[in-house]
Amino acid sequence: MIGDFIDGPLWYFSAAVFVIGVAWRLFAILRLRGRKKVLSKPRNTTGGGALATILRRFVPYREFATVSRGRVIAGYVFHLGLFALLFFAAPHMEFIRDRITGFGWTPLPYWGFIVASQLAFFGLLLLIIYRLMNPVTRLLSDAGDYVSSILVFVVMLTGCMALLQASEALRLLHLFLAEVLLIYFPFSALMHTFTFVTSRGFSGAVFYRRGVNY
Amino acid sequence: MSNNVSSRNRHHRVVLYSLLSLLVVTLVLPLVPYAVAELDPFAGKVANPGAEFWRDVRQRDRGVSGSTQVKGVDSGVLINYYGEEWRQFRMQRLVPYGAALMGVVLAVILLFYFLRGPLRIQDGPAGSQLQRFSVTERTVHWFTAGLFWFLALTGLILLYGRYVLIPLLGPEGFGVTATACKEAHNLFGPLFLVALLMLFITFAKDNVYARGDMKWLLKGGGLLGGHVSAGRFNAGEKIWFWIAVLGGIVLCVSGLILDFAVFGQGRVIMGLSHVLHGIAALIVIAVSFGHIYLGTAGVEGTLGAMTHGYVDLNWARSHHDRWAREVEEAGGVLTAEEAARRQGKLSASQSSGEPVTGESQ
Amino acid sequence: MAIDMNVFQQFAGQMAQLGSMAQPTDYPDEERVERAKAVFRKSIGAEQAGDLEACVKCGLCAEACHFRVSTGDPKYTPARKMELMKRFYQREMGPFRWLYRLATRDITARDLEDWQELVYDSCTTCGRCGMICPMGINIAGIVTTTRQALAEAGLVPADLRAVQQEQGAYGTVFGAGPDTVRQAVEQMRTRGHDVPLDKEKADYLVLTSVVDMMLFTDQLEATIKIFNRLGLDWTFRTDGFEGANFGLLAGVADVQKQASMKVIETAIAIGAKAVIVPECGHAYPALRWSGAEIYGKPLPFDVYVISEFLDLQLQAGKLKLKSDNSDIKVTFHDPCKHGRYSGILDEPRAVIKALGVDFRELPSHGMMNWCCGGGAGVFVIGSAAPLRQAAFGIKYDEVNKTGADKVLMACGSCRLNFLKGAQDNNWDKEIVSLVALVGDNLE
Repeated sequence: MIGDFIDGPLWYFSAAVFVIGVAWRLFAILRLRGRKKVLSKPRNTTGGGALATILRRFVPYREFATVSRGRVIAGYVFHLGLFALLFFAAPHMEFIRDRITGFGWTPLPYWGFIVASQLAFFGLLLLIIYRLMNPVTRLLSDAGDYVSSILVFVVMLTGCMALLQASEALRLLHLFLAEVLLIYFPFSALMHTFTFVTSRGFSGAVFYRRGVNY
Repeated sequence: MSNNVSSRNRHHRVVLYSLLSLLVVTLVLPLVPYAVAELDPFAGKVANPGAEFWRDVRQRDRGVSGSTQVKGVDSGVLINYYGEEWRQFRMQRLVPYGAALMGVVLAVILLFYFLRGPLRIQDGPAGSQLQRFSVTERTVHWFTAGLFWFLALTGLILLYGRYVLIPLLGPEGFGVTATACKEAHNLFGPLFLVALLMLFITFAKDNVYARGDMKWLLKGGGLLGGHVSAGRFNAGEKIWFWIAVLGGIVLCVSGLILDFAVFGQGRVIMGLSHVLHGIAALIVIAVSFGHIYLGTAGVEGTLGAMTHGYVDLNWARSHHDRWAREVEEAGGVLTAEEAARRQGKLSASQSSGEPVTGESQ
Repeated sequence: MAIDMNVFQQFAGQMAQLGSMAQPTDYPDEERVERAKAVFRKSIGAEQAGDLEACVKCGLCAEACHFRVSTGDPKYTPARKMELMKRFYQREMGPFRWLYRLATRDITARDLEDWQELVYDSCTTCGRCGMICPMGINIAGIVTTTRQALAEAGLVPADLRAVQQEQGAYGTVFGAGPDTVRQAVEQMRTRGHDVPLDKEKADYLVLTSVVDMMLFTDQLEATIKIFNRLGLDWTFRTDGFEGANFGLLAGVADVQKQASMKVIETAIAIGAKAVIVPECGHAYPALRWSGAEIYGKPLPFDVYVISEFLDLQLQAGKLKLKSDNSDIKVTFHDPCKHGRYSGILDEPRAVIKALGVDFRELPSHGMMNWCCGGGAGVFVIGSAAPLRQAAFGIKYDEVNKTGADKVLMACGSCRLNFLKGAQDNNWDKEIVSLVALVGDNLE
């Protein structure tokens, strides 16, 4: 009975919270556009500053390569592994095909799944521990940051435990935690999945106008 | 009349002996063929035609391999004779001896704690602080430690779960738990190899043998009293490091053989790997109890070294005097305030918690 | 001409007195909070909302901040300085304010007091943290707005407030008014220069600054020589001469507006084609990037900072420089507000190249240049002295690594801070103004 609830109503509810919440939070940023009139004469008049910064900031400046190396590598390893799992793990592809898109694509082979999950866990674990160990990040972080990290971790963990789909209970546990994550998502720093575009884009445009390749 | 009485008695005796003899004969007669078979030197030649076949099936004579259309490792072996030996070892040796090992180590630690108590800082804390472990070192340590304990717990559940968890969860519940643990254990295992490599790169250079280590060992590491001189790591820590690294290598190699059974390793190698994996795991787990004890309750003022990274100057002088001297000479001693500042411990007004003066909003 | 180090000592002495000259700006606690919130409510636009929503607290900005790096104190981490404004946004403007009000604490007067050190003493809004941020967050912009909120709440540090109040009340900085201009011009005339003052109409309105008139007279003299050599129609004006804008530095909007409008109105009155900003860091963006917004429509004249202007004249072939200086080993310190903030990076380098000096870049230069530690008014804040000294250590090491003998400056505040640092450290490096060097090498 609880299984039916997790598989049915709770899934639709959490998906709705996620979609509406994310859209509403992004809209709340965009509705503030144009509050400040910009009248000064630009040094750069061609467009493209926003897009350039959105792309440029995927790689740190050489100046900071050494000092950010560990965090950037761990970050990339985690995010790439997570994306591979999220969209290319065979059970996920099937879930998305059956419940959302109606079409499927080539999933990762089993060994690909193993590699992706190893990478994701490696990066995430290191980043969580680093957050606790570095006084800077420990001071910056609040409960929400830890909840986000740990929620992602347990979703990934239960997912891997349910890997063989040998047990319906494990599959439901994984789905339930994923639903909790979806509901939590729009209210948390996990929103950076989308807001990196607004922060990089706006800063990029503002600085580009002044002749700075930000 | 007396003749009548005696003849009647004799008759009775005859009847009795006859009956007894009959009983004995009845009981013994069926044994005769067995006795004959046993004593007859030709008996074996009249063999059961199926005996040879079943003997081969059971692999009494080791290493017999049949032929089959199925292509695969060990596919010609119908019943793995070693499997039984492995099972015997696991159930009768590994499980009880492993439990005993962990239990004894725990008991010794508890006993030591109650008899000797925690080792105190000589002359009490000085206040001024030294950084013992950097952010990177602490991150690597906890990454390794976290993975180790995750693997240890899932592994112990697989080994001991049937005794502990079946009574709690029931067979179905334990079935799910064991499946989950096996998946998670197999998945996180390879990460431990990476962690081990990071641990080695980070800490190896300070864990090689140095002068004074033998003396430290001979003095029992100061556990029984008295001051012993040591560098950044003492001989005990170095031994633990190498147990962790070498045990870790055994665990990783045997674990990978078990985890990725796609490289042609047969059941014999798998069984052997499992034996090694179990022994190494239980040894490293048991020794880690000592490491954890000495890092927490066992030695006053040690835990901070691995949490915020700093230790008291007198702690360093008590346990790592040569290292303390090096840091002092390099000007690395910080005041308590400075160390607190670098740890991000804010002054009262800067803490984001409740207002210190107590006035509420 | 060499600068008079006695005047430098007088300046330093004067700054130490500033705090006692400030008028109090005390409000009851609730009013402070309300005034600060009003600024946030009015100022937060999409750019800042986007920035506040994107921080993942990776802590990388800590590695880029000269105050955090040099003190090792995590409380100076740039991302942390955003938290006051972030809390306001989440609780009172954000899309889930009803939820955040349950989960977070309201801003208190005490928080505002705590933030004074974070956004004034320990931030020069140099923007280097923005360069390392993987999210591209403009942290310096958020600090600037937070300064405005604190200023409105009456929490500008007393020393900075004293100068801002002076400029607001009298239009002078450190007592430098029209008479100071006349005296400085007179002094230059006695040195044989033809100096146009208060011309009715001129193509170029050249600004100066109190520090240039009283201390860095070499910069003033060089500017005069250059404009005369170029044969341009230019003037100083006693009714619009000051480039420095302490309203901007302190975060006090009406004083910023008043100071900027003085220059804008003068420039329009004399029909100037362009306003030339002297070697002063914040004076350039104050006019170039905020002037039109304050004026309410696009400015009818161009704004150039002197290094940018020199490059334009070099390119046009009008400025001719001696280039036999290969024996002079120099390095160049980019002012944050010109380089990282305004993109003026190649221009000063083109001028340096034209001088033919032995030029060595700092290990971190251009967009990645470390701040000297004294920008955005921090140089006048007495309580920030230990922070400035610590941060200058980075600059000291960087310059030493180049092996240069002279450090070229394009900003008066940087030069003041470098002089102080050189004095504290018994440094053998010569702190030289770029425009002064150009003035000495006119063909």
